[in-house]
Amino acid sequence: MRKMRSDRLQFVFMLCLAFVTAGGKSFERKVAQLLQDKTEDPKCFVEGKKDLTCFWEVEKERNLHDRYTFMYSYENEKKMACVVSSLSLRASNKTVLFCKLPQELFFTPLNVQVFRDGQILYNRIFNVENVLLLDPPSNLTVMSSGKEGQLNVSWLPPPLKHMDDSMIYEVRYAVEGSHMGKVEKIKASTTLVLRGLQSDTRYEVWVRVKLDGVAYDGYWSSWTDPVFAVTAPTDMDPLIVLLVLFIGLILCLLSLTVILSHHKFLLKKLWPDIPTPEHKFPGLFTVYKGDFKEWMSQNNGSMWGRSVHVYTEELPSPVEVLSEVSLTNYSTSPREGRKPAEKEEGSERADSGLMGGWREPPHAQWLMEQLRALQENPESFSQSTLLQSHDTYVALNQNSQRVQGDTEQKVDDVFEETLPLQTLFTTAGTSSLSASHSDLGSLPQSSGSGRLSSQSSFEYPNHTWPPKGPGYAYMAVADSGVSMDYSPMSSSSIAELGKLGIYTNEYKNEIFGHKWPFSCQHIESGY
Amino acid sequence: MYHKTLIYVFLVCSGLVSVLIVFVWLGGNQVSPLRPICDLRVLDHFVQEARDSEVIMRGCRGGCGVMKSYFVPLTRVDFAVWEHIDVQSQAVEVQTGLSLLVQALSTAKITVSNSPLASTLDNNISNIHSLGQILHSLDLQQARSTVLPDDSAPASSQMQEVSSLPELLQVQSSFLRGKVRLLLSAAPACQRQNS
Repeated sequence: MRKMRSDRLQFVFMLCLAFVTAGGKSFERKVAQLLQDKTEDPKCFVEGKKDLTCFWEVEKERNLHDRYTFMYSYENEKKMACVVSSLSLRASNKTVLFCKLPQELFFTPLNVQVFRDGQILYNRIFNVENVLLLDPPSNLTVMSSGKEGQLNVSWLPPPLKHMDDSMIYEVRYAVEGSHMGKVEKIKASTTLVLRGLQSDTRYEVWVRVKLDGVAYDGYWSSWTDPVFAVTAPTDMDPLIVLLVLFIGLILCLLSLTVILSHHKFLLKKLWPDIPTPEHKFPGLFTVYKGDFKEWMSQNNGSMWGRSVHVYTEELPSPVEVLSEVSLTNYSTSPREGRKPAEKEEGSERADSGLMGGWREPPHAQWLMEQLRALQENPESFSQSTLLQSHDTYVALNQNSQRVQGDTEQKVDDVFEETLPLQTLFTTAGTSSLSASHSDLGSLPQSSGSGRLSSQSSFEYPNHTWPPKGPGYAYMAVADSGVSMDYSPMSSSSIAELGKLGIYTNEYKNEIFGHKWPFSCQHIESGY
Repeated sequence: MYHKTLIYVFLVCSGLVSVLIVFVWLGGNQVSPLRPICDLRVLDHFVQEARDSEVIMRGCRGGCGVMKSYFVPLTRVDFAVWEHIDVQSQAVEVQTGLSLLVQALSTAKITVSNSPLASTLDNNISNIHSLGQILHSLDLQQARSTVLPDDSAPASSQMQEVSSLPELLQVQSSFLRGKVRLLLSAAPACQRQNS
């Protein structure tokens, strides 16, 4: 029994202590807040209908209570003394002396005086209803209203009868974490709808209260503890969704109409027919029922031309790799043969400079002979006749005309398997000439023997390659830029020619100067 | 045919009687009291005007009245005490105070030659009359009684003496903000409306 009682007493005591400390905390907070206000000393506030307190700041020292006295008097009444107590503010490390007045009379002037060592320090007259400092509002709730960018805020005012219609509030809100807050003032209502907020964002909301100053006046209370809420996410405006769908539908219909109206054309582009060569061989399938021999016999020369022409279109231009062979290594006979030609050609070259067009050189016959010699004597020819053959542009085929006019004819020659030599000398076009001409210009002209030609470049597809001469190094270049490396047919000849510097590598414009007695140049066919 | 005339007469009479009843009923309603004026903004307006008088008084230079003693009501409110007084007693106190104020203001106005001050005093006097009307609408108006300085003790306990016009205006302001307002906010007629 006794134990129970003592327990109960203890519990009650703890409860009391808790209340006192809580109240004390709020009191201390109010004192600290008002200390920063610029009202005259002593600073006084009333927490509601009661608890009027006046305080003033002092320097920390001993015997504070003895030095200071506090006197107050209401109108037409005598002065009364009030007990002075001290309070140390932990936050700002300041000391205040305060007095809690026992009686509060509103709507009448009150005179307070502070004496230090008998001397009057402060003297102030005020009305108590003008110094109200309330507790902050309670039960602050913030909820999303469902609409985007809106929050519903509501709170309970401090419980003061007669004064609730004189209260004004300030609601502060900010995005969580940011320091840019907005403030809304509100009168005579304890709910507010915040508008114009960002959607789907977390907001912090605070509220504080003050008397409106008409009948009662005072100071702003402290802010409540913040309350967090998230605004509703953006919802798609149904009108926008509808419009988007509608526009999409219209676009679909339009595209469908276009597709249907041009479906044949589109089909051709996307799903092309497999090309057949029927149209190139007129009558082959229709008249001769696929009998090529018969068809050929019927349509000999012209057909070829046409087909060749076609072929030419698809084939890349031939590129011939030319090499210069040192005169010292030449066998005498070709050399001799060459010399007269050289002289002839030299003058010619000076004239034409291998520019642009090529003309039928007068020594075509001589070259023919040289080529025949090559066939008989591959080795010797490789050294000299190569050069010579490359010195000029020669068309052995009498039918061949100027390059400019007659590309097809040249190619004609090219593909005559019966005239392999022709292939060496026909050119693909003037473009190659011009291209090579410029290159030639940049080449260092070594000794007179250095007949760099490398002008004509042409390329042959593999199957028409005339591989009779072993010593040729050809480089075929496709018009697409793919380089095909054709090594000479016999490796032995390469070895021999190697010292002479026949170049079989790919296809760069390189000029080799002194290393080799002659320079090789790979000319890219202008195609 | 005789029967017909009888019937006609009977119908006409009943119609007239019913109309008469309606009129009487309507007329009866008119006699009922005024609608209660519960909006405190009216009073707040009066309070502002009383404050304006104080401001004008402070800025007045010359012709601002003479030093004279006025009897004015006590304005102090002790909430602990006030809330225990019943409404009717409160009403009496307020009514007495208002009549005192009117008297004092009228007396003061005679001595004032400064025109802004005089006009604002006029405002205050008419405001106090309006307050009487408001109290009447709230069923709080008591029989008017002119309070004389040498009245019985109850009156003196509710009176004080001031010696200048600024003090008088201060008292008026405090009284309106205090007791009058508390009474109006606590008026039963308004409570019934709010609840």
